[in-house]
Amino acid sequence: MRVSLNWLKEFVEIDRTPAELAEMLTMAGLEVEGLEHKAHNLSDCKVCRILDIKPHPRADRLSICQVDAGKETVSVVCGATNMRKGDFVPLAPPGTTLPDGMLIKESTIRGELSHGMLLAEDEMDLTDDHTGIMILPDKLTPGQPLTEAMDLEDWILEITLTPNRIDCASVLGIAREIGALTRKKVTIPEVSFEEGDRAIEDLAEVNVLDSNGCPRYTAGLIDTVTIGPSPFWMRYRLYTSGVRSINNVVDITNYVLMEFGQPLHAFDYHRLGESKIVVKRAEQGQTFITLDEQTRELDDQTLMICDGKREVAIAGIMGGLNSEITEDSTAVLIESAYFNPTMIRRSSKKLSLSTEASYRFERGIDIEGTDLALRRSLQLMQQLAGGTIAKGVIDCYPNPWSAPHISLRSDRANTILGTHVAMPDMIEYLSALQMDVKKIDHNNIEVSPPSFRVDITREADLVEEIARLIGYDNIPVTLPPIRPAEEDSTELSLRARLKNMLVGMGFTEIITYSFISPKSADILKAGQNSNLRSFVKLLNPLTQDQSVMRTSLIPGLLSTVRLNSLRGQNDLRIFEWGKIYIKGEEELPQEKQVLAVLITGMGSSQEWYQKRREADFFDIKGVAENILEELGIEKTEFKRNNPKEGFDPNEYARIFSSGFGIGVIGKVAKEVIEGYGLEKSAYIVEIYIETLFPLISRVKKFTPLAKFPSVRRDISIILNRSIESAMLINIVKEIGKDLVESVKIFDIYQGKQIIPQEKALALGINYRSKERTLTDEEVNEIHEEVIREIRRQTGGRLREGPKNGNP
Amino acid sequence: MKDQLLELKMKALKELESVSERSDLEKLRQQYLGRKGLLALLLKKLTALPKEERPVIGKLANQVKEELHKQFQFVSDSLTAKAVESESAFDVTLPGRRIPLGHLHPITKTTEEICTIFSTLGFRVVEGPEVELDYYNFEALNMPKDHPARDIQDTFYVSDTVVLRTHTSPMQIRIMESQSPPVSIIAPGKVYRPDSDVSHTPMFHQVEGLLVDKGITFGDLKGTLTTFIHQIFAHDTKLRFRTGFFPFTEPSAEVDIQCVICKGAGCRTCSYTGWIEILGSGMVDPEVFKAVGYDPENVSGFAFGMGVERIAMLKSGLDDIRLFFENDIRFLQQF
Repeated sequence: MRVSLNWLKEFVEIDRTPAELAEMLTMAGLEVEGLEHKAHNLSDCKVCRILDIKPHPRADRLSICQVDAGKETVSVVCGATNMRKGDFVPLAPPGTTLPDGMLIKESTIRGELSHGMLLAEDEMDLTDDHTGIMILPDKLTPGQPLTEAMDLEDWILEITLTPNRIDCASVLGIAREIGALTRKKVTIPEVSFEEGDRAIEDLAEVNVLDSNGCPRYTAGLIDTVTIGPSPFWMRYRLYTSGVRSINNVVDITNYVLMEFGQPLHAFDYHRLGESKIVVKRAEQGQTFITLDEQTRELDDQTLMICDGKREVAIAGIMGGLNSEITEDSTAVLIESAYFNPTMIRRSSKKLSLSTEASYRFERGIDIEGTDLALRRSLQLMQQLAGGTIAKGVIDCYPNPWSAPHISLRSDRANTILGTHVAMPDMIEYLSALQMDVKKIDHNNIEVSPPSFRVDITREADLVEEIARLIGYDNIPVTLPPIRPAEEDSTELSLRARLKNMLVGMGFTEIITYSFISPKSADILKAGQNSNLRSFVKLLNPLTQDQSVMRTSLIPGLLSTVRLNSLRGQNDLRIFEWGKIYIKGEEELPQEKQVLAVLITGMGSSQEWYQKRREADFFDIKGVAENILEELGIEKTEFKRNNPKEGFDPNEYARIFSSGFGIGVIGKVAKEVIEGYGLEKSAYIVEIYIETLFPLISRVKKFTPLAKFPSVRRDISIILNRSIESAMLINIVKEIGKDLVESVKIFDIYQGKQIIPQEKALALGINYRSKERTLTDEEVNEIHEEVIREIRRQTGGRLREGPKNGNP
Repeated sequence: MKDQLLELKMKALKELESVSERSDLEKLRQQYLGRKGLLALLLKKLTALPKEERPVIGKLANQVKEELHKQFQFVSDSLTAKAVESESAFDVTLPGRRIPLGHLHPITKTTEEICTIFSTLGFRVVEGPEVELDYYNFEALNMPKDHPARDIQDTFYVSDTVVLRTHTSPMQIRIMESQSPPVSIIAPGKVYRPDSDVSHTPMFHQVEGLLVDKGITFGDLKGTLTTFIHQIFAHDTKLRFRTGFFPFTEPSAEVDIQCVICKGAGCRTCSYTGWIEILGSGMVDPEVFKAVGYDPENVSGFAFGMGVERIAMLKSGLDDIRLFFENDIRFLQQF
């Protein structure tokens, strides 16, 4: 909402600077987001009078004007043709900078000297009119500064209104607010005009068939008007308010809308069938052409204004092409109504049509104000367009408004605010806001808000009004008693712990959008029944690429890899901790926390102390193992069964603990890598936090430190390549039981010395007893059995050569 | 002659033993093995010897010369080795063997910072769903259908009754529904609105706060949020509370801080007002209490919400919010 300071001053005395006013309004809830000093940059422009106009000798379209600029007579070359000898016009002398930044210089135009420029309204940013030079009123003096002569200087406050303060969507509304905050009286200029002899009832009829949709309909009539342009002062105000000028009658409806916040509609009286207005619902499916020449489809919830025969306007939203004011109109019926906010809002939404009128109606205008606005518009029409006003107005208002009574307890107000405001002060504040206040007893007040304050319905609303008038900054600052917080959920502390651990392992956290493209499931080769396709779909996505909620973190990770690789950053260690959203039977989807970690590019970088190595499966597996160890997850198994979509069927595993699938790890499938336009392999581990969570050992138990020495024995065994190392380790632990302290695979050999179907594994076993020192014999015995059992179960054979196994 | 040669050798070796500086070594070398050195002098006398003695003595002289050369070289080498050991050839400026470090996302860091401050003020951290019922996102927060206040927040819809939450405020309802007063929580999380430009992303993060108890006042709201702002920004940050509007609080207050860029003088960041909006807040509306079955006559409380990105941007000087979710590794490594 853009509002002129000069206009405000017609309603209330303002004794503050524009900046102070802006600050005051902002603090009270009318946020002033911009303050524009109007016409201050026109201070060099002068009023001048045209003494003579001669055609330019060398240019058909130009003329040379001799103008009286006060102290001197100068000649100015001009391209416009609307001015006449004797007209007063604005002159920008050389040295003037116009609002658009153009500097006026003394110049020679086709051989003729021009001492400045005669100005059109738009060149001074006063209106958007560029039809010719601005013609000023005759009573001015040549040489007078233009801004002073025309009273142009003004300040425009750009105010952002909150939805509750629709009463401030007008000059009057903001003036009332200023009046309340500065305790100045608001005066509404007197509205009076001359009426003709014929009563409006004899000329027109209003029939409201839906009084729920239209609780009040007020109409007036003016005949024999002359449609034409509005005077400059009105166009200037409309322009600064952001409204385009059309003609005097339409401009007046807009002017009064801006002034009082009451939307008006002007009908061409002679185009109303049977001189009648009927307010009723539309029929389902019927169409209507609004004055923007769009055909609108209506439903039976849409409130319509009709004449005796047909629809002429969508109530409260927009008029129809069939009854709009044209240059030929001679009589105008003005509608000033109050429509049901909910109905207008529904129709406006349904039609996707929002106007200055619908914006106000749907938030609730002042039902008591229709009459004043109507009479104000009649007055202006008679003033600016001539004509005879029919006697009286039609006012269909079956159930007049009555003020609500709200009880306010002063102690309650003070309790909520933390203040000690005395009751007389409260009464004073509320009265300043034009509320009727009645003291009931020492603590209770009965308050009736004015009809324009539709937002005040409860005690709490009154408490806010009191707070506003005290000034929020004047309410004392206190602290609530602090009690120890209950503990945050363990999941949160776990998350912080793991994130920090990943950062320590060189991984950088990313946060990607929760919505992805539905195509991502195809790229991941998800089956038709896969969870990856259980998308929560948005009805109104911004783009198709962000139209479903993610069912996996992998698309986000790979998109991030792609973005970085396009920028030459190919070595990445990244992770994301976020939710996936799986649509199920319930109304709300399942939201599951997932941690996904990715490595691509190098496993270790080229440094002076090391060679570059490409990342592989065991880089990411190491990360997974660290995470599981940190969480104290025991008995984890990596199993290569039940392939997972998106992963390479050879290099992947599902991670289990106590029989629960807690994650997936592996190399991203080649097609997926290509699907994201990537080249390098990527390795990912996904961990399902909710499944993992119950398995975490909360308390780490102490194990006594070993007192007796350990004995190391190594085995080097050749076996079939398909045999997994975990099998050997399990055998060692099974046979050795308590006496096996640890088993480690310290070498793997595949190559020339053995056949391609085989591999050689070297195991290092530490034997140790908790109770005693093991003898060589004991160890040998167990170790032999371990070897026997390994050979029996795997079909492997001991490797010849150096005793401790290195090839 | 023979004795002289052997004596010279013994003397030279003895003196060589005590040499510790390279310059002394050179001096000694000149003294014995130089062109005018002792050995050369001695060898000149060779011509004076009887013919038959010459080959024997000559051979001996060569042996002595060779041995001395060897010894000098040995000492020279060991001096060099000593020098390498003790001198500056050790390059401490070579980079260390590092385990590369990662970085937390700036949004995570800022969220943690915010939560830590409120934790010390007695607030518990809770989280809730992002795909949310219209009821929790709007209706229970005093925004019935067809309420104009819904226009403030454009919304992603999943169905007529399900939305992507537009703010973290539904957590107020969920928590109050699940427990009786007192309540003191903060709820960080992702929120969504269909908006995309330099200052808007369709997903962003908020932190919601709620304190409900007997006798909580608007003054308490001011005190709590002032403490917070002084901790997250600077202890002397100027702030102001001004009237705002949220359907679920009454009275409502917007909290502005003095622009951190221009210190209040007016700049582009603060739209030349000198102030930057940082928080929305207010006293919990009685309608909200009624929706969760609390008695507004018995308890009162305040709620607040803030945008994490905005705070992170103000603190870091970042001016394009989209960078947070682009995840360029060079951006992330700056935090």
